[in-house]
Amino acid sequence: MAKSTTLGLPPVRPLPRQAPRRRAEWAHRVFATPSVLSLLVLGAYPLIFIIAAALSESSLGRPFQQFVGGDNLASAVADTDVIAALVRSTVYALGVSLVSVTLGVVVALALHQAVAAGSFVRTLFLLPLITPPVVVGIIWKLVFNPSGGLIDTVTRFLGHTGAPLSLLSSTDWAFPAIGVADVWEWTPLVTLLVFAALLGQDPEVREAAALDGAHGFRLFRSITLPAIRGVVAAVFFIRLVIAFKAFDLIVLMTSGGPGQSTTTPTYLIYQAALQQFDVGRAAAITLLFAAVVTIVTIPVAILTRRLQQ
Amino acid sequence: MSRALPSRRARWAAISLAAASAITLSACASPASGEAGAEGEELTVLLISSHEGAAGWLKDEYEKKTGVVINPVIVPYDEIGAKLSLDQQSGANTIDVAAPWYVSIGDLAADGSIQDLTEWIEGDAEIDEGDFIPDIYDPYTLVDGKRYGLPFDGDTHVLFYNKEILERNGFAAPPATWDEYVEQAATITTNESGDGVYGAAVFGQKSPLILGASFANRLAGFGGEFVDSTGAPSINSAEAVAAAESLRDISEYALPTPAETAFGEGNGAWFNGKVAFIENWTDLGVGSQDPATGSLVADKWGVVTLPVGDPSIAPRASLVAGFTWVISGNTEKTELAKDFIKWAASSEVNEALLTSLPPTGIDPNRVSSLESASYGELYPELQEVNRATLSGALAWPTGKNAGQAAQVLVDELAKYLSGDGSTAQETLDRVQAKWEDLLG
Repeated sequence: MAKSTTLGLPPVRPLPRQAPRRRAEWAHRVFATPSVLSLLVLGAYPLIFIIAAALSESSLGRPFQQFVGGDNLASAVADTDVIAALVRSTVYALGVSLVSVTLGVVVALALHQAVAAGSFVRTLFLLPLITPPVVVGIIWKLVFNPSGGLIDTVTRFLGHTGAPLSLLSSTDWAFPAIGVADVWEWTPLVTLLVFAALLGQDPEVREAAALDGAHGFRLFRSITLPAIRGVVAAVFFIRLVIAFKAFDLIVLMTSGGPGQSTTTPTYLIYQAALQQFDVGRAAAITLLFAAVVTIVTIPVAILTRRLQQ
Repeated sequence: MSRALPSRRARWAAISLAAASAITLSACASPASGEAGAEGEELTVLLISSHEGAAGWLKDEYEKKTGVVINPVIVPYDEIGAKLSLDQQSGANTIDVAAPWYVSIGDLAADGSIQDLTEWIEGDAEIDEGDFIPDIYDPYTLVDGKRYGLPFDGDTHVLFYNKEILERNGFAAPPATWDEYVEQAATITTNESGDGVYGAAVFGQKSPLILGASFANRLAGFGGEFVDSTGAPSINSAEAVAAAESLRDISEYALPTPAETAFGEGNGAWFNGKVAFIENWTDLGVGSQDPATGSLVADKWGVVTLPVGDPSIAPRASLVAGFTWVISGNTEKTELAKDFIKWAASSEVNEALLTSLPPTGIDPNRVSSLESASYGELYPELQEVNRATLSGALAWPTGKNAGQAAQVLVDELAKYLSGDGSTAQETLDRVQAKWEDLLG
């Protein structure tokens, strides 16, 4: 006979805790499986493949022929062209990102102010973004073409009579010229994201600040910027990663030249893997490049998180 | 009176006879080269964009002869090797036949992406190996003693000149040496660049098939070699240094700018009559006469063999960008593929491609097609300059890592031409060191 409680109520049977807990654990596992699988397929597998290729003699048709240890990495580190490309790419990425974000914020503010401009102008600003990169490269190559390109035609119209301006053939100006095309292509993305952040601002705060006498740059610095700085930082981070990946414009506009002046790690990786069939070297450069990108982007990511908080 | 119907047996006999006759007739109609193929079969053929015209011709003619459907896959010239290799390595195996740059066949063979055809080629008398231009045949097909294909496009460079521009600037004849070439180009550019006319279009974009070709043309003219008679690299020789310096000298007077000039830019300027000289494949002459190309220089051009370093040196051909028929490593249609490439590399087909309009971009690969009456009748000047391939043409190294070696040379030359501060000798010494590692 079961013991009765002091209140005369029937005894409470302990809940069968094990079964629900197991069910909950299984449910957690089932729900987590897609994420884990995605991580393995999209992250771990390519990384392991690249590391294995970097540590082996691998060609395009026959990967992992022979283990060579750190030979590929040592060879890549000793190659002055590889190191120069890593430095060049970092400077380029930081430069075009800064310009893109600055211009993008300015354009977004202008659009936000000019409400009357409406969706037509906003769509117009997005045109470069929806233009295929191949077309962007061809357009800008034609713009910079020294034999009858836009710049050549304009400078001649303005009275220039000497040798034509050949920006893409200048070791000093070729990369800035590619940067102009890059900024033209990607600034609309910055504009779009910052514009969305501006729309999310509380208009009452702006109105209150305006009533207190804040206008123009003061209003931007004290009210608008603090409200959108988290988004701006995040956009800078995204833009930085996109700029590091620059490849199509370089192939189309300069093929990495003149000399090596526009050769980036992405171009070297393409050359090594698909033109020279040396996948081991391509993987070694990829690892070095990944390390550089990580080192440069981590501080930006930390800053972004702080500003968002 | 009604006619009696034939019996069932008689009807079957008639149908069988008709079927047998049809099979016999179709077999008789098929040429020898079509024996491996059968109506309705398909063959996928990988070619570069410059060979698109040839691809159309080959497709139509082979289908007419055999009933086999040819599916051409066209890719940019610098992607054909990677495309073939990835197709085989990935297991897709969609490509049966390809015509890659001959320099890449060593790497493709090392990867198992193409088949060793030595036994078949040696055992099939119809291929007529002896008729291939000797200076083309071995470099284009032979790696470490094994034969991996048959020559498709001879592709040697010659010097085209615009007669009107030379005449306007007081030159009675095109240059015989590279120094004269620079002098004439400099004069023309000085006189006419204000009107958009330049002395020369120089292919200088950083690619082995472009800048590499311009260097190879000069190396041939100065009497140099990429590798010596034992196969060891000799790229820092005095002749190679002279070739690099000559290339730097012309850059100043060339169509702006050599670093940006590839086939499209150079050929466009030539067809528009904006350059006096262009080093190009012999088929440019066919295109120059073809109204469909928009050429403004029809009947205004001449062609000579490439200049030389010194008048005492005999002109040589430079095999800058030849292409070779190969059979992919994993194709299940090897016999059909063999039949196709044997036909496509035959003398008759090469002769037809040389003179076909619209231009097919194909140069001679056989002695018989080079010397054919039809080629000589239509393009006597081209036939004459192409005879340079018959004596001591300069070919790139082949074998494993040859593609990487070509790229190393081009990267270093591009740095030298962009003014990195190195001398030609220092530049080529660096290339020599890297080539010794790559080519042994």
